[in-house]
Order: sequence, then structure tokens, then C-alpha cells
Amino acid sequence: MADILGSFEQAVLLAVIRLDERAYGRAILNEVAARLDRDVAAGAVQSTLERLERKGLVRSTLGSGTPIRDGRARRFYAVLAKGRHELNEARTTHDTIWRGFARPLKTRS
Amino acid sequence: MSNPPAVAQALLDLLLPVDARETVSGDLLEEYRDARTPALGQLRADFWYWRQVGGIWLRAYWWFIVPVVLLLVVHDIFNTFRAPSGGSYLDGLPKLALAPLSPLVGVGIFVLAGAYGGWRTQRWEGGLVAAVGTFVVVWLFMAIWWNATFYPFAQVQQSNPYWIQAWQWSTHRAHPPSLAGFNPDTPDETFLRWVFWDNVGALFFAGISMLIVSVACGSIGGALALMAMRRRPAAIHKT
Repeated sequence: MADILGSFEQAVLLAVIRLDERAYGRAILNEVAARLDRDVAAGAVQSTLERLERKGLVRSTLGSGTPIRDGRARRFYAVLAKGRHELNEARTTHDTIWRGFARPLKTRS
Repeated sequence: MSNPPAVAQALLDLLLPVDARETVSGDLLEEYRDARTPALGQLRADFWYWRQVGGIWLRAYWWFIVPVVLLLVVHDIFNTFRAPSGGSYLDGLPKLALAPLSPLVGVGIFVLAGAYGGWRTQRWEGGLVAAVGTFVVVWLFMAIWWNATFYPFAQVQQSNPYWIQAWQWSTHRAHPPSLAGFNPDTPDETFLRWVFWDNVGALFFAGISMLIVSVACGSIGGALALMAMRRRPAAIHKT
């Protein structure tokens, strides 16, 4: 079985898909933080994006900067077909593991 | 518009690979100005920015910290827990088995950190930041480790002849004051108090020597990485 994407990798990939053409570093960071409902380090998102790009799951292109960034370029990300396939695989595995359990799990008395 | 601390920005610049330098620093600057400063105020936004820079450093170089910390802990444990004769349990081992515990290994790790930092950032200063950062984290660990373990370790040490001798030599020797007028004779010093101040002194002197070593090794490693990259331009980072 191929390596299953970690939950943080899934969160980042799904954030890129959700944001679509607006998927650049800061927007992805905020989207992931909002979905996970916790503060997320920029370095964590950055290193995950680098890893996903090395694995061929996303690609990136440079875009223009804005005055609030002092004109510094933005890197926009898009999920590739392989990335979507890996996400589907991760979802299938997740569903398979949970099949047969009621949600939420009952606690033992 | 407000700006993050200049030192933190400069450090970030020396931490990031070439292809991420502009984009990642721009992302952080945008978040700092657009969201953090209005919501948190300048001081807490600065703290947030420093945390991000620290996090990026840690993600890039944490694996240089682990072996240095292990080296330190193993040394400390074998220095504390000694044979009843006072000798080290490591004394009988062959030299090859002791090689991984040599201080030269620590020096080599600093050089490696420097080389990796130089390669990653394509600047020799990047190597310096990697090695000195490793020193800072390791030194902070030392400070916490020695303070957390000094009491239980002192209890073990007080019944070992090696440490009793060291305490007596340090506090009970009778000789004339040194040129600077400092007389180390302190016959009333208790063992526990002596161990505490011995640790503080070791932390101070180890800190200074490690700082010097990390600056030298980081610079050398960074410069070596740059030289290697210039010889093989095709093998360097993507731009």
C-alpha cells in the first residue's frame, strides 16, 4: 500500500483545493488554521507545501506582490491529479478503518 | 505601516532557501501587518513574528540538535554515575567505542550544520545562523537540564570519591592568592552549594567555548558548502 497522507498534509491539500486560484502561502495558512481550529505555524505549512511539491502532488507558480507585502512575490499552489488521487486514497482508507463504528463512539461506563 | 523586528526579519532572510525567501517573508509580513498587529498590538505581533522565525529555524535544523543533546546527556550521566573507585565506567572501553562520544563529534556536527545551512540558503551566513542557532538551543537545554538534575545528581555524587576529591580540591586547597587577588579557598562551602556553582560555572564557560566553536564551524561549513556549490552549479537548489 502506498504511503497514506498525514492529516496535516490532507488539510493543506484540501485548503489549496478550496482556495482555488487564491491559494498562496498566507491564505493557505489561515484556511488550515480555521479548519483545524488552532494556531498553525507558518513554517509547518511551508515545509508541508515543499514536501508535497517534491512528491509531485502540487505545483507552484510565482505571482505578483502587493503593497502590504512590500511588493514581495506570492507563490500560488495548485493540486495536481496525483494529489487528488492521494486525497481520494486517504479518504477511502479513513472510511474503511471507520466502517462499522457508530459516530460518536460510545464511552464505556 | 508597522514593521516586524529588523533582527527577526534579517534572521528569516538567512534561514530561507533562495526560492522561498521572497514569498515566505512576504506571507509573514502580510499576516503581521494585516491581521496580527491590528488584533494583538505591536508587542504581541512582534512576539508572534519571532515565534514564526524560530519555528522555521527549528523545522530546518532540529536534527542537528538531537545528536548534540544526546552527546551532552550521555557525558553528564557517565560523569555523574561513576564506579565506586571514582573512575568512569567508560574508561575500560576500546577507543573505537568511545569515538561517538568525543567532543570532536560535537565540532563535526556544528560544521555539518554550517554546511547544510550554507547549502540550503546559498549563503555562508546561512551556515552561521544554522550553527549558532544549534548552539543557542543546546545551551538553553543545558541550562534546563543541569538545573533540573543537579540535586538528584548531587546526591549520587556526594558518595563518590571522585566528586568528594573534586569538591575538596576546589574548596579546601591552601595556596596563596592568584595574581588577580582571587583566593579560591572556601572551606565552609557545602558539597551541594559547590555542585550548584560548579554547574553554573560550567554552563558559563561551556557556553562561551561552544559559542566560539559554533561561530567558527558555522562559518567554515557555510563557506565550504558555497565552494562546493560553485564547483557543481548544476547540483544546487532550484531557483
